Amino acid sequence: MARHIPAWLAPTSLEEALELRARYGEEATVVAGGTFVGILMNQGLLQPAALLTLRQIPQLAYLRIEDADASGQPLLRIGAMTTHRALERSPLVQRGWPVLAATFALVASPRVRNQATVGGVLADADYASDPPALLHALEASVVARSLQGERLIPVEELIIGHYETSLRPDELLTEVRVPRTMEGAVYRKFRSRSSEDRPCVAVAAVRRRGRLRVVVGAVAERPQYFPEICALAEGQAPIEAALAREIGERYAAAIEPISDARGSAHYRRRVIAVEVRRALEDLNRIIATEGGSQRHA
Amino acid sequence: MAAMEIHFTLNGQPVAVQAEPDEMLLEVLRRELGLRSVRETCGLGICGACTALLNGQPISTCILLAPLAEGCDITTVEGLGGRHPVQRAFEEVQAFQCGYCTPGMILTIKALLEEQPEPDEETIRRALGGNLCRCGCYLKIIQATQRAAVLLAEERRRQVERSAASTS
Repeated sequence: MARHIPAWLAPTSLEEALELRARYGEEATVVAGGTFVGILMNQGLLQPAALLTLRQIPQLAYLRIEDADASGQPLLRIGAMTTHRALERSPLVQRGWPVLAATFALVASPRVRNQATVGGVLADADYASDPPALLHALEASVVARSLQGERLIPVEELIIGHYETSLRPDELLTEVRVPRTMEGAVYRKFRSRSSEDRPCVAVAAVRRRGRLRVVVGAVAERPQYFPEICALAEGQAPIEAALAREIGERYAAAIEPISDARGSAHYRRRVIAVEVRRALEDLNRIIATEGGSQRHA
Repeated sequence: MAAMEIHFTLNGQPVAVQAEPDEMLLEVLRRELGLRSVRETCGLGICGACTALLNGQPISTCILLAPLAEGCDITTVEGLGGRHPVQRAFEEVQAFQCGYCTPGMILTIKALLEEQPEPDEETIRRALGGNLCRCGCYLKIIQATQRAAVLLAEERRRQVERSAASTS
């Protein structure tokens, strides 16, 4: 059987890209940085009728700060085609959202980060990527554009399953919006194999206006968040040792972990309890000593 | 769709090559341009044997769709000429056994030292985290990186002296 060769669609404006997206829908695979698409195609897991690249739309790569939050807090707006490296090396991001810069710097290797984009990693909805859990914990949203207009989707509602998002087949993810970190934020990446590996267990913990938000990534088909467990920390700052342990144990009990090459479900459950507790200890320390945010590798 | 023509700069020279839209740059560099320093090993962007510089930054050519290189500046180790300070440092320190991973290591280190001329050991280790050496020459490779930093600093100093001498 002859090999099917996909059409190469390379629009040079967003309008043109949206028209192609509407016309081709799921027939065309969207290529942002192309790392995930490249891996899938090498493995023979993806044979699309067309490839729709956004690489030639320079307006989709930018980093801007805006005072758009209702409380007057600045909002970071990231163009979907911004690479991981551009984000991690931006002085603007390092100063205002240090946890974001530090977390993107933990992804894979410099090669992958030079190619992979912020929009791509969210649209892939890969359970084992670092950024989704952190962006969920930071209450980030994405802008989904189509010929019909645009809608704002919280990351929490964007990633709905295993490599599955709530984007419609005619929509393109064009921007990520991240509110200010507020009191403190941490991201812990627990690796079970090597330094450039994906996380076995990832924990993002954020305190905003007194509320705690803990999101565990890489352990299930989508990031795991339990508001009712986080509510135990209501009004508790710093979080005492016994409470930190309890929240860790409750997260471990509430999550149904997957097994993969980075760890069995049994192993992950034990690591979740420990890593959530450690994230809360880190958060206490950061709020007490730095009044800001920091990463923990 | 038939093969398409892709244009980019390779080691300082403009090139036009034929490729299918679903081919990776690695295949095109080897087949169309005869470059043997880019090597497929994992096909997953993990091992670093296929590293090239795209606009000065390391990327994995095994997972870069060839048409994405359109208009870019691509550098492979062939473009360094053999006497680049990072290459001389590898020779001096003997930072290889089989040499299979060496081109990828050299390009990654070149990009690192352009960004950070005096990296500490931790920074070097992090930058090389995605370049695997199955001979296990890592300690020598770190030493070669430190030696290359010294050679590059000497080269910069000589350039400053030369330009000072020519203007006086």
